[in-house]
Amino acid sequence: MKVYGGESTAASNKPERIKVGIAEYDVTRNGAVLTTSGLGSCIGVAIHDDQVSVSGLVHVMLPSAEEMDDDNPAKFADTGVKTLIDELESMGGDRTNMIAKIAGGSDMLDFSESGSGIGQRNVVQVKEALETFDIPVVGEDVGGDHGRSLRFEGASGDLIVKSANKDSRTL
Amino acid sequence: MKVDIQSLETFNQLAHEGAEQATASMTQMTGIDAIVDVTKISLVNRADVGEELDTQEFVGVQFDYTGELAGETVLVFDRDCSESMIEALLGGASSDEMARSGVKEIGNIMMSGFIDGWADYLGTTIDHSPPTYIEGVGPDVLPDAPEGDENDHIFVFKSQIEWPNESLEFYIYMLPEYEPLADVMSEHADTENDAIPIDKLEVFNEMTMRGTETAAENVTMMTGIETEAEVSQISFAPITDVPKQVGNETYVGTVVEFTGVPSGFMMVLFDERSAKNVAEAMMPVEVEGEELTEQHKMAIEELGNIMTSGFVDGWANVLQTSVDHTPPRLVHDMGRAIIDPLAAQVGQQQEHAFIIDSTMKTEDIEFEAEIHALPNEQQLREALDELLVERADETDADPEEIFQK
Repeated sequence: MKVYGGESTAASNKPERIKVGIAEYDVTRNGAVLTTSGLGSCIGVAIHDDQVSVSGLVHVMLPSAEEMDDDNPAKFADTGVKTLIDELESMGGDRTNMIAKIAGGSDMLDFSESGSGIGQRNVVQVKEALETFDIPVVGEDVGGDHGRSLRFEGASGDLIVKSANKDSRTL
Repeated sequence: MKVDIQSLETFNQLAHEGAEQATASMTQMTGIDAIVDVTKISLVNRADVGEELDTQEFVGVQFDYTGELAGETVLVFDRDCSESMIEALLGGASSDEMARSGVKEIGNIMMSGFIDGWADYLGTTIDHSPPTYIEGVGPDVLPDAPEGDENDHIFVFKSQIEWPNESLEFYIYMLPEYEPLADVMSEHADTENDAIPIDKLEVFNEMTMRGTETAAENVTMMTGIETEAEVSQISFAPITDVPKQVGNETYVGTVVEFTGVPSGFMMVLFDERSAKNVAEAMMPVEVEGEELTEQHKMAIEELGNIMTSGFVDGWANVLQTSVDHTPPRLVHDMGRAIIDPLAAQVGQQQEHAFIIDSTMKTEDIEFEAEIHALPNEQQLREALDELLVERADETDADPEEIFQK
C-alpha cells in the first residue's frame, strides 16, 4: 500500500495521478487524481471527506469475501469498502463526514441463467456495506450493459465517468 | 513431469515479488515511481517469445545463470523509457557511453535482487554472469534459443512494469531452460492433488494454435483476405490480472460461453480499425464514412461465430469430446470492460486462471484479431486428464492427424 501524504514530490501544478488497478485501492490527502479503468461488472467506490480533504477509491471485483478463501480485501465489495473507510480514517478522515459515489456494476456479458448477475450483486453489496457505516451514496452510475472508466478528483470529490460509446458524466 | 496449480501460483508470486523488488531498487536510484502491472507465466513456443515487444526499440541488460535453474534473464526498457531513466539517474544530457553504463548499472542492481529472490525460494544458489548490455528492435532484443535445444516450448516469466505518469513501460523476462525448470517445478509439485502434466499443457497449446489456424482459414474463406495465425500461448496469472490481457482501447467482437469439458468463455476481438476493414471485405457494396454501422457489426457477429466454431471444434476434435457454446454476443466496448465480467465469473471459483491467447494477422490490409479463452480450471484439468499423451515427442503428430478433416 502506498500512502500519498502532503510531501508530494510532484514539482508541477498538475495534480499527481494515481492508477488504481483491479482489486486495489488508494487514498490521497493532497488532491491527487485517482483513476481506474475497464469496469465491467466491477465497481469503483469513491469516498470523499470534505472536512479534512481525504479521498479514496477502491476497485472491487466480486460481492463478498465470505464466499472465497482469499486474503485481498480490496477484491470484494464488503471488505473493500470497509478497508477503504479504515484507511481514510487512519489518515484523519471521519466516517460521519464521508460521502460516496459509485460507478460500474454493469450486467454486460452475464451468462448466468438463474439469479442476478455479478454486476447487480456487486451494486447491492457495495450499498449495504456503505449503509453499515452510514455513508450516503450521493451519486451513482451503475448497471446497464456497457463498460466504464473513472477519474476521481481528490481535491473536489468529483467523479468523472467515461464510457466507450457515451459522453462522460460527472457525479 | 507434472506441475500443479499450487506451484504455478507460487512461481508466479515469486516472479512478481522479484519484479517488485527490482522496481523498488530502481525507484530508490532514480526517484521514478513505477509499478509492476502484470506478472504472468506463459508456456509459449520458443520462436514466439517477445511477440508483444512489437517493433519498438529496446535497450537493457542480460544475465546468464547456472545452478538449479539455468537460462537467461533479461530486463528491457524501451528506448524512451531508458532515456528518461538515465536522465533521472545522471541528470542532464549524457554521452552514449555513459547512457550504456547507466543502463548496465541500473539493470545490475535491479536484477541481482530478482535472481537472489529465486535462489532463496529454491534454497539453493544461482550463479549469474555479470550483466551484458543489449539493444535491439522488438523480440530481437531477447536472447536466441540455445542451439540443440529439443524443446520448442518454454516457460516464460514476464513482468510488465509501468510508469503511470510517463506512460512508459519496461519488461523483465526470465527464460529458464525447460528441463531444469520442469524438474524444479516437479519437485515443488504436490502430485497428489491437482497436478497437470506439463507435456499435456504443451499439447493444449498446440491445439490452440491449430484451432487458431482453422479460425484464420475461416476468415480467409469468408472475406477473401489471406489471414494467418500468429502466436498462441497459454498463460497463468492471478484472476485480477486477467483483464490486463486486453488493451484498454475500444474493441468490437463476440463473446461466447462454452460448456462441457473444458468450460469457460471465449472472446474474438478486433480493434475498431480491423473490425471495419474486415467487415467491409465481407460486404457486397462500398461503405462511406468512418463510422461502424449496424451492417459492420452484423458482419463481425457472423465472423466471430465462424471463428469461434473453428477454434472450439479444434479443441473438441483433439479432446474427443463435444464442446458446446452459446450463440455469440456482440460487444463493442472498452477492451478491459469486456473481459472483466468474464474474469469475475470465473473468479467466483478460483484465484488464478489459465488464459489462452492467440492472434491472427494479415499482410494485405490493416487487420488483427485476438482470440482469448478463459477456461474454468477444474474442467481444464479434467480435459487434460482425458487427453492421451504417451510421450511429449509423439504429440507433434497428434493434433495434425486429428485436424485432417
